[in-house]
Amino acid sequence: MTDTTGGLPFILVSPTQGISSELAGRVGEAVGDFFGYPIKVIQLLQHIDFAFNPDRDQYHSTRILEELASLAPERCIKILALTDKDLFIPILTHVYGEAQLNGMACIVSTHRLNTDFQLSEKKIFERIVKESIHELGHTFNLRHCKNQGCLMHYCRSLEDVDLKSSQFCRYCEVLLSDAFV
Amino acid sequence: MHQTRILIVDDELIIRESLAGWLERDGHHIMTADSGEKCLEILKKQSFDVLLVDIKMDGISGVDVLKHVKEHYPDIDVIMITAFGSIPSSVEAMKAGAYDYLLKPFDPNELGVLIEKLIEHQSRKRENYYLKEECKERSRFESMIGQSPAMQEIFDLIQDIRETKSTVLITGETGTGKGMAAKAIHTSSPLKEGPFVSVNCGSIPEHIMESELFGHQKGAFTDAKETRKGRLEMACGGTLFLDEIGEVPMRMQIDLLHVLEEKIFYKVGGTQPISANFRVIAATNSNLEKNIQERTFREDLYYRLNVIAMTMPPLRKRKEDIPLLANHFLHKFVQEINKPVQRISREAMDEIMLYNWPGNVRELSNAVERAVVVCRSHTIESTDLPIVTPECRGKSHPTGGTLHDIEKHHILNTLVENDWNISRCATLLGIDRSTLYSKIKRYHLKKDPAGRA
Repeated sequence: MTDTTGGLPFILVSPTQGISSELAGRVGEAVGDFFGYPIKVIQLLQHIDFAFNPDRDQYHSTRILEELASLAPERCIKILALTDKDLFIPILTHVYGEAQLNGMACIVSTHRLNTDFQLSEKKIFERIVKESIHELGHTFNLRHCKNQGCLMHYCRSLEDVDLKSSQFCRYCEVLLSDAFV
Repeated sequence: MHQTRILIVDDELIIRESLAGWLERDGHHIMTADSGEKCLEILKKQSFDVLLVDIKMDGISGVDVLKHVKEHYPDIDVIMITAFGSIPSSVEAMKAGAYDYLLKPFDPNELGVLIEKLIEHQSRKRENYYLKEECKERSRFESMIGQSPAMQEIFDLIQDIRETKSTVLITGETGTGKGMAAKAIHTSSPLKEGPFVSVNCGSIPEHIMESELFGHQKGAFTDAKETRKGRLEMACGGTLFLDEIGEVPMRMQIDLLHVLEEKIFYKVGGTQPISANFRVIAATNSNLEKNIQERTFREDLYYRLNVIAMTMPPLRKRKEDIPLLANHFLHKFVQEINKPVQRISREAMDEIMLYNWPGNVRELSNAVERAVVVCRSHTIESTDLPIVTPECRGKSHPTGGTLHDIEKHHILNTLVENDWNISRCATLLGIDRSTLYSKIKRYHLKKDPAGRA
């Protein structure tokens, strides 16, 4: 694959089984524009079966993040993985995504973002981008925000995801810029 | 903003880690313990707002942890984590004082909503306590009013120091609004979202002052039946207002100096340091410099407190504010007492302006309240005012005679003016009804059918 990062630090978008490189590329473009970093799309994991829990019929996201972080290539500052599998952490029934707070990796599942078959592809794409930026925000040490319009707001429902804007509030913007100092 | 401190107690590493990771992203401060024993050890060294405790653990069980916490740290709320088979234990836990329980694995929304509800519940608990305390001091917290240069200087100073957290010493005569100024400094500072905890140092008996200010551990002294937070701990993240600082006993002055210098303090009987994360505003109507000379106030504490000095002007030095204040109090009491009084007559206002107001704004407020109570028309007249000016002094009071004669005459005048309404007269005279009855009896005062004094 051609390196378009010009030797600069970059954010790596890693599609897993079920996610096309095309979708990963489009999501990468959106998050790259948002954070101002070049993007590389590389499939770091051939499969995520190691994280599968047969009792729950779900994938343990924390284990996937650990694996991804150990595979980070040189100059890669953050990894965003995309999956269509249902994710969980042991204490919770499910998660839309998970991130290593102030760490390297995060993951977003499209499994529960696409429950309505009548929903336009554009809408689903918007949700994936919002959740991706949200999870990447955690890797830049941002916590959940009380402002319902902010991308770092923790959404209790998909309606809430649709309602929040595609931007950080001014406080989260400042906190994000602190992360780069 | 107050960061919620949560301690997760679970013997399964994976549960501790996943829960901690999830809650950290919500911005909470998280610690974990892998057993009940470890939890109790941590609690001796650190304070928490919420405990998430697994009900089933080897050694000290979750329910035992809960019982211990409720006994020794009643301010901490406990949520039990329970598995499907442990429902009976959850019922027992609820009876033992658990805030709620979660059946694992739980829906992330369920956890989020529960924690949010709990934080709101805790902040309401704190707020209720402060409100109750503040109600006692309510009259001090009127909005600050004044257009005089003297008050403009005060407003400018409050504006200038709004970004700092420096200690402020407010001086001024009784009734000049030192408490209001303290509240105004708090509400215009970065700490405004935090609590404003007011302590009237002159009203707390010396023997309980230490425990009142610093709190105490259970068993620290005979009456310490449970661990209790002191005013300093309650003020964390906000402002501690020490009113009548000149009344603080010497011993306590040493403790306060230590808090200001070291920025930490300890509960009575406690070994765990608590960070003094609050701003101190002190106020006094005494001359602290004179107190220092008389060795009743520590000089080092004075300099620690007097970082920013503010002197509230007496009302006689800002007479141009009097009409504004009088009308403000008129509208306030008309609403409270629900009487159709609309204005203060020109003559009454002249009298108000001529008077010296030794009791300052508070005395003016009391005078207007009294006038609204006794006023029988839409306009407050001079006769409605309890002001004793040189001109009217001769009219209604004897100039000579013993103290008893003067008291008898004043009580009788008040009774006649108020149609012998005992409750109203007792309020106006500043004594209770039974005292008034005994004085009526002692002076053989009788109601004259013609209504004359």
